[in-house]
Amino acid sequence: MTNQTTTSPWKTLVALPENIWRSIFRNPLPSSDLGRASTSFTNFFLHLHPVKVHRNSLKVSFTLGLGLISFFLFFILVVTGILLMFYYVPSTTQAYDRMLDLRGTVAFGIFLRNMHRWAAHGMVAAVFLHMCRVFLTGSYKPPREFNWVLGVLLLLVTLFMSFTGYLLPWDQLAFWAITVGTSIASYAPLVGKEVKFILLGDSTVGQEALLRFYVLHVAVLPAVLSLLVAIHFWRIRKDGGLSRPTEEDAFPADGPAQVEIVSGPAVIMATSPAAAAAAQPVLQKRQYGIQGLVRGPFTKVGNVPDRSVFAWPNLFMAELLGFLITVAGVLLVSLYFNAPLEEPVNIMHPPNPAKAPWYFLGLQEQVSYSAFWGGVGIPTIEVLLLLLVPYIDRKIAGVGRWFARERLLANSLFLTFVIVNVILIIIGTFFRGPNWEFVSPW
Amino acid sequence: MKTPVKPAIEESGDAMTRRRVLSWLSGFGLFGSLIITALSNLIFIKPRATYGQPNRFSIGKPEDFPSGARVSLDTRRVCIVREGDKIAAISTTCTHLGCIVSVSETGFSCPCHGSRYDQDGNVTGGPAPRALPWFQISLAPNGDIEVDKDTEIEAGNYLRV
Repeated sequence: MTNQTTTSPWKTLVALPENIWRSIFRNPLPSSDLGRASTSFTNFFLHLHPVKVHRNSLKVSFTLGLGLISFFLFFILVVTGILLMFYYVPSTTQAYDRMLDLRGTVAFGIFLRNMHRWAAHGMVAAVFLHMCRVFLTGSYKPPREFNWVLGVLLLLVTLFMSFTGYLLPWDQLAFWAITVGTSIASYAPLVGKEVKFILLGDSTVGQEALLRFYVLHVAVLPAVLSLLVAIHFWRIRKDGGLSRPTEEDAFPADGPAQVEIVSGPAVIMATSPAAAAAAQPVLQKRQYGIQGLVRGPFTKVGNVPDRSVFAWPNLFMAELLGFLITVAGVLLVSLYFNAPLEEPVNIMHPPNPAKAPWYFLGLQEQVSYSAFWGGVGIPTIEVLLLLLVPYIDRKIAGVGRWFARERLLANSLFLTFVIVNVILIIIGTFFRGPNWEFVSPW
Repeated sequence: MKTPVKPAIEESGDAMTRRRVLSWLSGFGLFGSLIITALSNLIFIKPRATYGQPNRFSIGKPEDFPSGARVSLDTRRVCIVREGDKIAAISTTCTHLGCIVSVSETGFSCPCHGSRYDQDGNVTGGPAPRALPWFQISLAPNGDIEVDKDTEIEAGNYLRV
């Protein structure tokens, strides 16, 4: 105890470490439910989590952890990206040499570049698979429509991030992939040529394009992505947590549960005695008060079986484990596989075939049939359909379950879209040789 | 008891009071200027000067290109074709997606997506949507051939030297 009237300097000194510690971490490790709750909402980093979380949200077989993995990969990308910025120069004469320096002289340079490259590929894959998970579990249904829209935007920004990063090594792969990619953009009606010119800062890929892509890659797009991620997370909370099956679907043995939903405005402050009295019966039944203050239709009251657990430690430990596994995975891949680096840019000799990164090879395959339809028309229609999905499919059935029978049609259509794109990517990757002619990989 | 003062502004109805008109106008002006300020960024990021290759350049004397030559100047992205005393400049930027086409036996072929063109740049196969453009070519006063990539001319228009 340091707050005695006669505090000796010695006692102050002895208590110093504990006082500093306690001034930073206001709560001891929780041993009671109250402690677990306050740990969640008094810590800046933890307070975006709910105090309690539904068991279903913690089931790995439901979420596959893909959203979290995407976020952790983004975190790894930010850290390794900032480190790489210390040695990189966005100049056509220096960029490639800096790549060689990363290999040869910079401590851990090759390793950091590997991590950045593989985490980027992983993020594209994880974000896409996350979208598949959300669709196939029907999780875009009301009230989560807008979060789905944000998710589609996040997928697009992730792809654009990846695209802009592709140019920076200034090797043959980079140069020709961006030449092809920006030419695809120029097929867009009316604004296509302007977009290409503004993107490249010139009529062909050169110094201006390298600088522009660098600024987009390290400043503009990460800021946009971070903002969207923040809103995406915020909306999860405000939309009532992750989707989950209804009580009857998940626990049929319990019989039809009495689900009582408060859809009116939650009573935040009862200003009159009458209003307080009216709110009383609702408040009495609740075991934990803080969620009762949350406005919206998902506040759970009444005699519903409690399927939720405290976020501390259940959710936090799950997240920590996810983070460790993600980092370990990226480290492992980076140890065994080096990020590719081709010859320095040679404007006179495009590699034959000139291929985009794998996740754009489906697009490139489409483009080889028709530049406008494959590169602009069909992708635009696909993105528009994805954005509009939650506003077209309004039926609230089969939410929170994988491959729900009620959603057979929607899931079949979506899986067709996924499989067609995967097949296009496989053809583009393995079955296309010089002059984009069909070759057999065997 | 004081008699209630008649309100200076008629808030009721659709009557356009002076205050309402003024607030609409000032709001319009303020938000308008905000939007225009934001849009000016679009003008800012479109470069007025480019630092790359000029689009008008000289390629040397006509004698440098013997009859029958098909010389691809890859850095300029143009192929100089000479037949007898006729000379022309054909673009070597693929009209499909901007790769550089290479000179082949039958004309031009693109390494990226397999577009093929004949000797005059007409599409003979692959996904290319248009023929390779021909560029304006002229003789400068000092006898150099000058190519102007900003001006496309009809295919088959040779310059006689």
